[in-house]
Amino acid sequence: MSTSDFDREWRLGELFDAAMLARIGPPLAELLGADLAILDRDGRALWGMPAPDATREALILELEPAGFLASAAARPPQLRSAARMFTALLRAEARYRMASALHLEAVTQDFETLKLEHSRLLASEARYRKLSEELEARVAAQVATLEARQQMLYQAEKLASVGQLAAGMAHEINNPLGFVSSNLGSFKLYLDKFAALHARLAEGEAAWQSLDLDFVIEDGAELLADCANGLARIGRIVADLKSFSNVDRPPTERANLNACLEHAVSVASSPLPPGVTLKTALHPLPLLACNPGHLNLVFLSLIKNGMQAVQDSGRPGEVSIRSEAAPDGITIRITDTGVGMSPAQQERAFEPFYTTRAIGAGTGLGLSTARNIVLAHRGRIVLDSTPGKGTTVSLFFPGTP
Amino acid sequence: MPEQDNTSLTFKLVYYGPAQSGKTTNLLRLHDILSPELKGEVMIMETKDDRTLFFDLLPLGFRAPSGLLTKLRLFTVPGQVAHDGTRKAVLSRADGLVFVADSDRTQETNNGEAFQSMADNCHRVGLDFEHIPLVVQFNKRDLPNAVPEAEIRERWDAAPWPVRFATALSGNGVEATFEALLRALYRRHVDGLGLATDHRLTEDAFVAGVLGRTLEPQ
Ligand SMILES: Nc1nc2c(ncn2[C@@H]2O[C@H](COP(=O)(O)OP(=O)(O)OP(=O)(O)O)[C@@H](O)[C@H]2O)c(=O)[nH]1
Ligand SMILES: [Mg+2]
Repeated sequence: MSTSDFDREWRLGELFDAAMLARIGPPLAELLGADLAILDRDGRALWGMPAPDATREALILELEPAGFLASAAARPPQLRSAARMFTALLRAEARYRMASALHLEAVTQDFETLKLEHSRLLASEARYRKLSEELEARVAAQVATLEARQQMLYQAEKLASVGQLAAGMAHEINNPLGFVSSNLGSFKLYLDKFAALHARLAEGEAAWQSLDLDFVIEDGAELLADCANGLARIGRIVADLKSFSNVDRPPTERANLNACLEHAVSVASSPLPPGVTLKTALHPLPLLACNPGHLNLVFLSLIKNGMQAVQDSGRPGEVSIRSEAAPDGITIRITDTGVGMSPAQQERAFEPFYTTRAIGAGTGLGLSTARNIVLAHRGRIVLDSTPGKGTTVSLFFPGTP
Repeated sequence: MPEQDNTSLTFKLVYYGPAQSGKTTNLLRLHDILSPELKGEVMIMETKDDRTLFFDLLPLGFRAPSGLLTKLRLFTVPGQVAHDGTRKAVLSRADGLVFVADSDRTQETNNGEAFQSMADNCHRVGLDFEHIPLVVQFNKRDLPNAVPEAEIRERWDAAPWPVRFATALSGNGVEATFEALLRALYRRHVDGLGLATDHRLTEDAFVAGVLGRTLEPQ
């Protein structure tokens, strides 16, 4: 048992120190009207000088004497009363000391328990931290995988749309190319006629007439004009192509979105699918700091989506493109009168892997990629669709202050 | 381990149990009933509305034929849930336990929780709960909705501890409970303390000494 245990055996000298005994002793002796000494349980004097022949009266705390009152002159009944009084004081003190010692023990134990719990908490916190770090790493890995997949999908879509673009362009270029080369063939025949004229110069005017050189000169000029026209068309197509080849050029450049829309319309309409009309209403716009290559792709794919929707509806219809300057930015609306989308389709339309058609089946970028590009321009994209009636995609780009 | 010096031996015994199960009443009745050679006052520390805040203490003692003074200090713990810290401190260094359960049918959960807390606290303060002398008392047998004795016996049949029934209010069963604890206590320490050999103290003499009964001549 340690000296701090509440339930130890308390000694008289411990309960009442010398100073306290010096305060209790004198008045007690005075009341007793005799000599008095206070002894511990072994008979050692704690206060006063006991006479050798003094009578002792026990001070019992629990079962045994914790000490004694000793007096030679006091009458026994008086000494017993003094001992009873002293015992009462002693017990009151013992109760108080036990209660405070117990309280201290309880508090210390609670503190120990708290410390133990605290260390357990720390340990479990460390475990959780480790777990959450692992989770974070796993989430990061998953996100990286997803991003890689999406990038691949984006690349696949880009390739597909570039392929489609190339096919359209080839068709468009082939046409003028065909008549330019046929014109040049005719022109060579015309030159042959001039070579023949050289041999028949002697015939004079008759040779000129028989070779029909008036017609050759007239038609030759026409053929050359046609060729120049055809080459100009090819030049335009190549210029359009060039602006689409800027896709991977980093931003930003101050561009007119109307020019982007015109490029997109011109690419989308060559060739224009049957039954589809394209209408534009482009109003003057402020320049916008943007990546025109990326926006070209967005507009092209939205216009193509619209054309596809019209074709899917099985009846003739139109896709209209409208641009407008708003007080705080630029609004662009691409509206089609096609099949429209059900609410469920609209809800999922922006999901990265969602499409109502086979992936890469020639509709250009997915809506999710389009949205990502718009978001990268701090813009907004909103779908509004009625099944059977058509779809409007609204884009908003905040103006650069 | 009991406190021991050349001339005396002290056992600390603790009455544990849920709030208001009758621990203090057990001590008060023992003080009335027993008449050992040495008997102190019941020290009731501090109560609030009759509920123990710190502990109660009843000291008892007698001399063995060898002259050894055997002292027993009976403590009660405060039963209220809030005083668990105090309960643990009082429980510390105990040599034997009485678990005072309330027979009232509605108190079954409280009994169970208190018993579990006793086992837990024993471990926390370093007592060997599996081997410490322990008696289970079902008190308040006088209550009309007391769980029937047969049911309790059946439930506690497999447990290693003696079960006693009491009505502490009238004193019934209080001494029998204490006697069962004394016997378990004696058996646990007879060899380690040389009770029979060094102090010529038989189990019956030990019990008779504490209770203050005269030993029946053999
Ligand atoms: N009916 C009945 N009531 C009892 C019995 N024993 C005790 N009581 C009553 O139960 C109440 C609580 O008794 P205590 O002895 O103070 O209970 P305790 O276990 O010390 O309570 P705490 O100190 O709060 O833990 C008192 O009103 C007692 O009179 C009994 O055998 N029968
Ligand atoms: Mg009590």
